[in-house]
Amino acid sequence: MIEIDRVSQIFQTSSRKDHLALSDISLTIEDGAFVSILGPSGCGKSTLLYIVGGFVSPTSGLAKMKGKAITGPGPDRGPVFQEFALFPWKTVLGNVMYGPRQQGVRAADAEAQSKALIEMVGLKGYENFYPKELSGGMKQRVALARTLAYHPEVLLMDEPFGALDAHTRTRLQNDLLNIWERDRKTVLFVTHSVEEAVFLSDKVVMMSKSPGRIRQVIDIDLPRPRRRTELLLDPRYQKYVVDIERMFDDSDEPASNP
Amino acid sequence: MKTNALTGDVLLGLVPIALVIALWQGLVSFGFAPATLLPPPGLVFARLLQQLVTSTFHHEIAATLIRLFGGFSIAVILGVSIGIAAAANPAINAVVRPIVRVLAPLPKVALYPALLLLLGFKHESKIVLVAADALFPILLSTYYGASTVEQKLIWSAMAAGTPRREILFKVVLPAAMPSILTGCRIGLVISCIVVFLAEMITSTDGLGHMLVTAARTFQAVDMFVPLITISLLGLILNGLLQALRSYLLRGFPEA
Amino acid sequence: MMSAATLLKRTAPVLACVGLLAVWQFASLVLKNDSFPTAIEAIRAVPSILTDKDALINILASLRRMAIGFALALAFSIPLGLMMGRSRAVAAFFNPLLMVIYPVPKAALMPIIMLWLGVGDVSKTLVIFLGVSLPVIYHSFEGAKAVEEKMLWSGAAMGLSAGQRLVRIVLPAALPEILTGCRTGLVLALITMITSEMIARQSGAGNILFNALDMGQYDTVFAMIIIVGMMGICLDAAFERIRARLVRWSEPQFDMPLSFS
Repeated sequence: MIEIDRVSQIFQTSSRKDHLALSDISLTIEDGAFVSILGPSGCGKSTLLYIVGGFVSPTSGLAKMKGKAITGPGPDRGPVFQEFALFPWKTVLGNVMYGPRQQGVRAADAEAQSKALIEMVGLKGYENFYPKELSGGMKQRVALARTLAYHPEVLLMDEPFGALDAHTRTRLQNDLLNIWERDRKTVLFVTHSVEEAVFLSDKVVMMSKSPGRIRQVIDIDLPRPRRRTELLLDPRYQKYVVDIERMFDDSDEPASNP
Repeated sequence: MKTNALTGDVLLGLVPIALVIALWQGLVSFGFAPATLLPPPGLVFARLLQQLVTSTFHHEIAATLIRLFGGFSIAVILGVSIGIAAAANPAINAVVRPIVRVLAPLPKVALYPALLLLLGFKHESKIVLVAADALFPILLSTYYGASTVEQKLIWSAMAAGTPRREILFKVVLPAAMPSILTGCRIGLVISCIVVFLAEMITSTDGLGHMLVTAARTFQAVDMFVPLITISLLGLILNGLLQALRSYLLRGFPEA
Repeated sequence: MMSAATLLKRTAPVLACVGLLAVWQFASLVLKNDSFPTAIEAIRAVPSILTDKDALINILASLRRMAIGFALALAFSIPLGLMMGRSRAVAAFFNPLLMVIYPVPKAALMPIIMLWLGVGDVSKTLVIFLGVSLPVIYHSFEGAKAVEEKMLWSGAAMGLSAGQRLVRIVLPAALPEILTGCRTGLVLALITMITSEMIARQSGAGNILFNALDMGQYDTVFAMIIIVGMMGICLDAAFERIRARLVRWSEPQFDMPLSFS
């Protein structure tokens, strides 16, 4: 269980003005839940994810994992970034093996586990390729495998499909759900796409910006396993999407507000 | 297709070199320049080949190479470690930055007389001068490379359980490698230049000394030989570094 | 009002200078070597050089040659570099020649050039010209190569000719990179100037240095080092100011300490 307890984050901008990125956020994420954080750019949703990851410490408040305060990154929380962040000097296999090796797994075992994971994300045969030789979608599959390789309890996904084209994005969403169905890890998923949030999640946390606040938390009560083609025709799915979009429209904040 | 274009480029590039040699030959053949001032290229290259097998010439080259590699190695070790330390630690950064700003534009060759006084006329003073000149390009590009390492690369490694002290070696150093090697390349060329100049200014051996000795006795042919040697040496070393670079950076885009 | 932090940042280079001089002073006191005067002794010798008429004329003549060589090199190298950057054929033509010339120490050509052109200003200016040209060509080349194709398409669509595109689009777009080359070139001009004078031993700042060394006037040697060092630092700082003004529109030059600790 992840508990976010009255977290605020203030950034100093270059003009020495304090920018309130997150204001008094409290949120609890149950084990095994797929939770999306949805909001316009600049609402601090990624910052919230980085705080749970332990990459950024909040100005005030506290984030807790299994009752213990988060003070830094750890292999119990695995990030997947929009920018992939693969090590360019390592091959696909080398990237995936990095975590297990860091955990002290023997080289032969780490290699076997990693190869199995690479196959699971659909990249069998690409073990010895370098990231530069892969397409964006393939890179993100490698990044996912690299994170899964050290068995985190929570996946922290920071707009992971944001840099991909629409077609690749759909395929990766499906594959992510398939992988998730197997072991149902806790997932915290940041996105600005309403459809993506509704399609993937059990719970959608809607945020507004300036300052970054939680507007509303919506439970998505749709059956699993979900199939995209069926869901698109499902009126319940359509209603969730439309309702959420309406809520964002109502609050139409001026776009130029820094 | 690609190789064809490449060969075309190489051939096109040989044209000006051939032109220069032809012009050089022409100037001598048609009597525009007396052979005492500008010896014909054939003579210079013949002289170079003849020299290449003599033991005195080996001795001169060895002296130059010891100084070159001595100074360059010191510059690489210091430049990379100071550059990374300055990028990693704000306190070190605050000290290093102003010192580098003062020392980088200072013409290091002006320090040479002082080095001669302090370290003597042997290898040491020249090695230190080479190191001082090659240090800053390596330091600055290492610093630049290390401080522009993508934050999320570091975060990914930390989340995978890498302790903070290992991040420097496991992420920052390899990620900064392209820029470090660019710095080394500049540093290497500077080393070639500086070692030669130091030997010209004052020395008892080395390629630069050969040039000065030849100049004193107006032996034009012997003046060209060390010049061409240092140019070839630079090309060869540059080629080796390039090969090392494409091996080390095989994973990086546009290596 | 300036805050303490900005004040510290502004004065940091000065503090660094003072610190380095202090290290020197300390080292010379510890070593107690006759040929290694203390920093204070060296600084005391500076005014006597700068008020000596011969020495001053020598130094000014050096600087004049440097300025002429530098200016000529810019006039020649920037257009060449830009053309190389925009035309694959021009680049392929000149690149290997430049690669061969690159590792040749330009000041080392001094004896040969002196043989041809005598020991006068022409030889010395030519050597400085050669020394400055290569980095400026290289950076102009890289700058022009990086200009976005689409910017040139827009230019062509607006009816600019190839020459106009080079002057009105490529030149300004490549300016930050060109100026980086000029900055390197400026420092190199000073280095080439000093070195060629050290080799030729006829006149100039480099000659004063070695004459003093030969005559055992060690405080003059170190005072000259301070003078030459200050020239380098001041020229670089002055150029950096000009550069910052000319390319205000460009991304701020990298100046951010990043810590991941």
